[in-house]
Amino acid sequence: MVFNSLTFVIFFAIVLGLFWMPFAWTTRKIILLVASYLFYAAWNPPFIVLLWISTVVDWWAANRIARSSNIFRRRTWMLVSVSANLGMLGWFKYGEFLLRNFQSLAAVAGVHYQPPHFDIVLPVGISFYTFATMSYTLDVYLRRAQPTTSMLDFMLFVTFFPHLVAGPIMRPSELVPQFQKVVRPNLGQLRFGLALMTLGLFQKVVLADGFLAGPSEQLFDGTKIPGALDAWMGTLAFSGQIFCDFAGYSTTAIGAALCLGFKMPDNFRFPYAAVGFSDFWRRWHITLSAWLRDYLYIPLGGNRHGERRAYFALMMTMLLGGLWHGASWTFVVWGALHGAYLASERWLRQHFAGYTPGPVVCVLLGLLTYALVNVTWVFFRAKTFEKAWLVLKGMAGANSASEPILAAAHLIAIAVIVGGLVLAHWQMRTRTLESLVAMSPAPVIAAAWSLMLFAVIVEQGTGNAFIYFQF
Amino acid sequence: MAQPVPERPVPAQPWGRIVLVVAVLVTAATATWEWQMRALQLLPGDLQDNSSLWADQRRRIDTEDVQVAIVGDSRILFDTDLDRFEALTGVRPVQLALAGTNARPFLEDLAADPHFRGLALVGISEWSYFRTASGLHADALARYHFESPAQRASFLIYRRLSDVFGFLDAEYRLSRLVLRLDPGLRPGTRGPYQEPWKLMITAADRQSALWPRIETDVYLNRHARSVWARTYSAPPVSAEVIAMTQTVTRDAVGAIRAHGGDVIFIRPPSRGPFRENENRIVPREQVWDALLTAAHVQGLHADDDPVASHLFLPELSHVSRACASVYTDSFVRRLALLTPQLKLRADAPAPLAATDCPPSAEALALQNIVEGTPSAGARAMPVEH
Repeated sequence: MVFNSLTFVIFFAIVLGLFWMPFAWTTRKIILLVASYLFYAAWNPPFIVLLWISTVVDWWAANRIARSSNIFRRRTWMLVSVSANLGMLGWFKYGEFLLRNFQSLAAVAGVHYQPPHFDIVLPVGISFYTFATMSYTLDVYLRRAQPTTSMLDFMLFVTFFPHLVAGPIMRPSELVPQFQKVVRPNLGQLRFGLALMTLGLFQKVVLADGFLAGPSEQLFDGTKIPGALDAWMGTLAFSGQIFCDFAGYSTTAIGAALCLGFKMPDNFRFPYAAVGFSDFWRRWHITLSAWLRDYLYIPLGGNRHGERRAYFALMMTMLLGGLWHGASWTFVVWGALHGAYLASERWLRQHFAGYTPGPVVCVLLGLLTYALVNVTWVFFRAKTFEKAWLVLKGMAGANSASEPILAAAHLIAIAVIVGGLVLAHWQMRTRTLESLVAMSPAPVIAAAWSLMLFAVIVEQGTGNAFIYFQF
Repeated sequence: MAQPVPERPVPAQPWGRIVLVVAVLVTAATATWEWQMRALQLLPGDLQDNSSLWADQRRRIDTEDVQVAIVGDSRILFDTDLDRFEALTGVRPVQLALAGTNARPFLEDLAADPHFRGLALVGISEWSYFRTASGLHADALARYHFESPAQRASFLIYRRLSDVFGFLDAEYRLSRLVLRLDPGLRPGTRGPYQEPWKLMITAADRQSALWPRIETDVYLNRHARSVWARTYSAPPVSAEVIAMTQTVTRDAVGAIRAHGGDVIFIRPPSRGPFRENENRIVPREQVWDALLTAAHVQGLHADDDPVASHLFLPELSHVSRACASVYTDSFVRRLALLTPQLKLRADAPAPLAATDCPPSAEALALQNIVEGTPSAGARAMPVEH
């Protein structure tokens, strides 16, 4: 189920009520486990089997790895785990993509191949929970962590509903220890958790779905040729939409976990105030960046084997990171662009090592970073390269037969919301939400919270799935 | 490296008092909003048509011996009074028409379903039926074929809440209200202001009708007419689309008859410049008459119905809520003459006439304003011609 649904409101109220009861710790964990399975089954019950396969394989493989000192056996069990997870991911997420590409390659070679039509349904959140479970086996294999002795704790780590389908992608070392000792949430956590959930839902329901999704759809899914104004404003709308959608999900998830007494890491840290792309990736989808760094970039050589290897590792990491987001070459190009940005930045930093930008240059570099990030969003959002080129040409003012697309109301809404968002990110650049809340007067917090909650209620919401569910 | 357990400190604030203030403020604001929405005639019990509600009715064909199902667009949806239909025939149809949506894919869906052996009534406005696009609610079929448990549960909860709160109306959500403040400031664009606004009310079994406020609110009435007026510049429907539609319809009709069912087309009334425009882009002889011939199917056109020609159509495209009973009475009696699958009950109520649904004095005054000279009190509304 989605957080922005009436079903979740009822579900969460029941889970909260049961979890706060004075039951034994194991009983409360079982309540959470059953609730998490229900949360996932509410989409499509049969896909629970995949969750079980991922859980059992990684539990079994990690235990085998921990028990063995034989490098061959350890590696074999690690490969079993990786193959099972990537196999599931490959079949459900990339099966049709691979077949389509094979068909195209065959056609280039003059062979007419018509692949069977599988009509594969993508299980929601599979990219997230396979990465989470794989990190468990990999950490044990790399001797970064010991396997947990409790199957219940491990199952709960995999399925814990706040992070199950769209992250933050948690590591066993972040969550399993929280299940090992009795958690008694306090009223402060409950209240602040509810405030965070309201903030997250406000971002998703009101800003992303209510105001920004429409103009973004008009630009990227419509048939009109955009001029510079529409291309830029539609793309800016998407930049605001995807942030509010995904950061909204993460904030709601963090708030839901906190209501239950559990702590989850930040997944976003005001990314549109990033200066440079390494800074951007320290602020955007932080848990994925860290995962890719630890399990892809470093194993590929990282920066410890010379410059060429570092550039190679960077590009491969971002290309695969792009492909992780979706089975389409547009996502690969999105990743490639970020890889190229990061590589360019690395080169510049090495050749201008002594340079420290002043505050004005810092802001200009930040705006340049944001503009270039928007260019990448075009490939992320466009369903085809033709559409992406059309929008990019529009952004460059090179579409001769352009037509107006976005109504004045949309243009104003985008300017206010996205402009406000970027300004807020700059204001909060070196701070945390918690520090802002701590220093704000209580009436201001009450007013802001009330406004957001009231806006969520009167916006009603359409129960639209979060964008990242499809990844 | 292994990540440590995250820190998630709770900022020091008087959270108990804050929560109390939030609860009071939000309750007061929501109650005020509800009161304001009820003043705008958004009333509890209006369910808001949506894919889940449609799928709920569509599933009845899988489990019940459905004698009559209606597919079509907003005209047959608003203009059919299911209670009157049932009073006349003893049969309550399954209402599967969808506003702003092409009936053709839904007729094909019925044709592909061997469970359906009844009478399919296909209510069309030709410019909606003779097009390649599926329209607004094409996703309803997908929802029927797969509805997740979460979607189902949310739908059931929403139904309960709709019985209590009038403000739960997608057409009056915050973003729509804000974005509609722009009446078209940027030439050449089409924003939320130019889209159809709330036109209908819906009860539990998708018994729908034209929103009564359209009859009495000059601003909303003019807006609805201005939206229909956008079709005035549309080109006539092409020969290819006509041929494709005829072929698909003929095949669907054949499939339904092969299962033991039958199909009858219905063309509800429209009026004024809107109707004149329809005569231009979808002329009856080239579209309606040719369809019946090509698909070997019977049909009831409002032009041939003396009762329909005198009904009150507040915004030119749909009959008023009161006149839906009269129009239903009229077409059901004509249907019973066309097909043996539908018989009038021996104790059927007496026929109704257009005089049984006269427009109110307020509605008549509105018509004079909208079709005549606007009064000083009426808010300006650009009407495209």
